[in-house]
Amino acid sequence: MTKNKIELLAPAGSFDCIQAAINSGADAIYFGVEQLNMRAKSVSPFLISDIKKIAAVCKANKIKSYITLNTVMYDHDIRLLQNILSEVKRNGIDAVIASDFAVIQHCRQFNIPLHISTQANVSNIEAVQFFSSFADVVVLARELTLKQVSQITKEIERKKIKGVSGKLMKVEIFVHGALCMAISGKCYLSLHTQNASANRGACTQNCRRPYKVTDTETNEELLIDNEYIMSPKDLCTIGVLDEVIKSGACVLKIEGRSKGADYVSVVTKCYREAIDSVKNETYSENKIQHWKKELATVYNRGFWEGYYLGHQLGEWTRNPGSAATEKKIYIGKGSKYYPKIKVAEFTIESGNISKGDTLMLLGTAHGMKKEQIKNLIVNGVQADEAVKGDKITFACATKVSPKDKLYKILKNTNA
Amino acid sequence: MHKIVHYRNKCIGCNICYELQPETWRMSKKDGKATLINSTQKKSVFILSINHSIVNQSQEVAKACPVKIIKII
Repeated sequence: MTKNKIELLAPAGSFDCIQAAINSGADAIYFGVEQLNMRAKSVSPFLISDIKKIAAVCKANKIKSYITLNTVMYDHDIRLLQNILSEVKRNGIDAVIASDFAVIQHCRQFNIPLHISTQANVSNIEAVQFFSSFADVVVLARELTLKQVSQITKEIERKKIKGVSGKLMKVEIFVHGALCMAISGKCYLSLHTQNASANRGACTQNCRRPYKVTDTETNEELLIDNEYIMSPKDLCTIGVLDEVIKSGACVLKIEGRSKGADYVSVVTKCYREAIDSVKNETYSENKIQHWKKELATVYNRGFWEGYYLGHQLGEWTRNPGSAATEKKIYIGKGSKYYPKIKVAEFTIESGNISKGDTLMLLGTAHGMKKEQIKNLIVNGVQADEAVKGDKITFACATKVSPKDKLYKILKNTNA
Repeated sequence: MHKIVHYRNKCIGCNICYELQPETWRMSKKDGKATLINSTQKKSVFILSINHSIVNQSQEVAKACPVKIIKII
């Protein structure tokens, strides 16, 4: 068992996600701003001006915050990079996650702690040693086995490889989320076909589509048993988390900065419970089954343990999109909050809800909240059903704003 | 007359517009995004009337933009 405290690192693409990560027990979050992060195509990405609030929210909740600046950098990006790093320094963001040497160099000049991104594909102890002159944490390549991870962590201890802070180098690995069919940072499919560089955060995910193989001479289509021949299933290590922790990796990272607060909430909570169970020796098959069921409710492409157990790539998705067992249907938005009695009012803008439905609330103040409605109050009176235009009220400890969205949870019959 | 319309907010600074049409585009050192030279700004959108002779080339640029924020109207 590792002597280090395990840090659970959750993705945050919005303030809703940050709150969801906090509520679910994350020790740290990572986020990106502007176009210099691997999710440049996000619908509403964080801006430089958001750094201050992100740092404040994380500090107030005693969790760490890391900023990803891990795209390929061009000359015209350098001033933006410097502006971002100034804000990072000013607001005390805990570290930068990067792979480009310009970012590494600038972090040193700004004296900002650095983590080496998985985009750098660190796969051996000598690479760790090299980066120890610049960083305190390395995110290992996602393509290593746990045995290889373990060898690296043991060698760090044996050789006493220390990072910039003077402490032993820490190893971070991904424990959950999407995997690439290519080695991270080395895929050019999207760039070649649509001039959309994955390494500038513009991946168009060619690998997630079905493909046919045609003999151009005869025009005959070759039979392949699964059309999704380039789309790996998602990584899920909840069933082998004891082995993961034994490997000596002490930062466990969840992938998914472009996913919603519901995903962040469910996945973070499951891994929080699993890490704590390994720690207090109550990690069991029953619990694993329960977590797997929970994890399957949010976006996923089916699960496997990635490359960690030495398996070759061969676990392909069977369907397009998500295999989540639940889906969320938009119902309406927050319209009023009564702080004295702590009651929230939502206006229904689409669809309908009935007594007994499970509702999900997403918002900056709440992260994600899910609850079955046993007592439905519609326009101030008890009712069995609410439809478009109705106002519903229910008890809610946190303040509701018009940006808060309410969803109905349904079983996904296509999963 | 044709126009180039640039939804600049969503630019990821990939450089391809400048690469293909350096007379019309430059990369801003200030924020790393592409700038449509001599354009007029309407809210967050930038518009430039263009000569017929560069319409085809501009359409190629619009096609090459990975985030599809360049339109020719």
